[in-house]
Amino acid sequence: MTGWLPSPECVYLGVGQPTRWGTIEVLERDDWLDLARKLDWDYSYVDERDVFPEAVSGSPHLPAEAWSSWDEPFRTSYVEYVTTQAAKEASVRAVRDVAGRLDDMRRLPPSWLNAVKLHAATLPLAEFAATIGNLRAARFGRDSAWRGTALLGALDELRHTQMPLRLMHDLVRLDPQFDFAHRFYHSNNWVAIAARHMFDELLLASDPIEFAIGTHFVFETGFTNLQFVGLSSSANAVGDRMFEKMLTSIQSDEARHAQIGGPVLERIVAADPAYAQRVVDKWFWRSSALFAVVTGFAMDYLTPVEHRTQSYKEFVEEWVLDQFDKSLARYGLARPRHWEAFVASLDHYHHQVYASAYTYRMSVWFDLVVPGPEDRAWLRRKYPGSWGDFEPVWGRIDEAWSRADIGNELAVHGTAIIGFCRLCQLVLCRGTPSRNEACTHVHEGQRFIFCSEACRDLFVAEPERYAGHRDVVGRVLAGEAPGNLAAMLREYFGLGAAIWGRDVHAGDYPFLDRPSPPRGGTP
Amino acid sequence: MIPLYGFLEGDTLGLLLLADETETVASLAAKLQQSSRLRVAPRDEVLVVHRGLILDPSRLVGESKLEPLERIDVIAVRPDPAGGAA
Repeated sequence: MTGWLPSPECVYLGVGQPTRWGTIEVLERDDWLDLARKLDWDYSYVDERDVFPEAVSGSPHLPAEAWSSWDEPFRTSYVEYVTTQAAKEASVRAVRDVAGRLDDMRRLPPSWLNAVKLHAATLPLAEFAATIGNLRAARFGRDSAWRGTALLGALDELRHTQMPLRLMHDLVRLDPQFDFAHRFYHSNNWVAIAARHMFDELLLASDPIEFAIGTHFVFETGFTNLQFVGLSSSANAVGDRMFEKMLTSIQSDEARHAQIGGPVLERIVAADPAYAQRVVDKWFWRSSALFAVVTGFAMDYLTPVEHRTQSYKEFVEEWVLDQFDKSLARYGLARPRHWEAFVASLDHYHHQVYASAYTYRMSVWFDLVVPGPEDRAWLRRKYPGSWGDFEPVWGRIDEAWSRADIGNELAVHGTAIIGFCRLCQLVLCRGTPSRNEACTHVHEGQRFIFCSEACRDLFVAEPERYAGHRDVVGRVLAGEAPGNLAAMLREYFGLGAAIWGRDVHAGDYPFLDRPSPPRGGTP
Repeated sequence: MIPLYGFLEGDTLGLLLLADETETVASLAAKLQQSSRLRVAPRDEVLVVHRGLILDPSRLVGESKLEPLERIDVIAVRPDPAGGAA
């Protein structure tokens, strides 16, 4: 390799290194790293605002000096990054070869595989959107070290797209529902609409400052432990080594690039604390809703009861409430607005959504399970103040399955059109069965419904951002989507009979009081 | 038809209801109970609440000042401590 080596008069300091060109001096690693990370320009014929327009780089537009001391603790060079990532990739491939074969997956509990399907769909292309968010910061972030770290973050997120897509692709032969790992975000499935509504704004549309606070500080630092620590421990407990390896491998990247958030937030808090608080408030609430559905289902329902280590609520209390509270205090921020509503929702929200989703399971791409007597006893212990509200609902579902033939999914399925929140796009499930917290707001003569006051407040703060987005009901009423449930599932949600969700056990539960078949009849 | 969001006491979610202006409020409540019967056992006596007020079950939807995409609640009639129902 020739031509790239600097001329001898180029300034090199430090340890002498013999090469075939003679001896050159190189910097010690830490000295070199700072030089490289902090390499920047003084602009002579353009203004700082021309290079980093506020509309793209974000607000407040602080003077360059405010960013000059920006740093994060991992301080990784590109060479170190590539070396480490190659080793991680090799490790994931090795686990896949040993524990990711179809026979290995067939041995896992059926309900657990559906937790994997749920995550496999919501994860990969959201990570791809995060690649774009990071690349925007790699160009328009206000400090060179931030830009360099964001570039590595973009490479991380690309890896987090490719790895689950690759691993789940193998499993399509096991179950076609795994195909939604790729198809999910390309569909108009109601969960995909909700996830896109959030991630389009957070990852694709936000400027590097909002992205750093919303994604790195709130979503990744505040919540992804639920996935990457809580869920990977569930994967370990059920014996799913491949999923566990995938999650822990992703987490090791997330832990690094999430560190971008703190030093950005620190500067925004100093310059405009009200704005910093607003961004935290918004993304805390929105993130919490998504994780309640995705992780709450997996931890409290789809992981077999004998393998559960903690309830969703316990995990949130330990890993989100406690730790995030301390992080907020460290930056001088208050708890997010609607914090109390969030804490209260830990007893009800994901249970409400799960029971609702179970009775509309053909509208999703994974199968759901009726909690059995042991599950219900566990849930009663873990949620003593709220589980009693859900016993009658599951009792009704038990009765419906008892009357239905095994496998007759339609006999135990809802048919009415569901209402969706005009902000989070999720089902109107906030509150309790005795008091649903949905509320409405009229904006420019049009009535909007929200699952909660928190979602309504977010809408009212930025109506121009959200008012134009149609929810599923709006699409039906506008004639864009069919009002007939079967047509909606097939034509609009992208689900066919091979994919749409069913009961994991086809309703064949030993605890049901199903009448015995007549003597001489078919058992 | 007037699209409304219906919330049945005891249910886990809100549903879209298409109300016919010529049907009664009682019929609207029955419609919601029917839509939610998989999760909530239908009750014989219920009340329909709109903007905090109980609607007359015999009134027609068209006479009840229900506007598109408003919320209505269908709640159980609670025993009156005095002996009746409230």
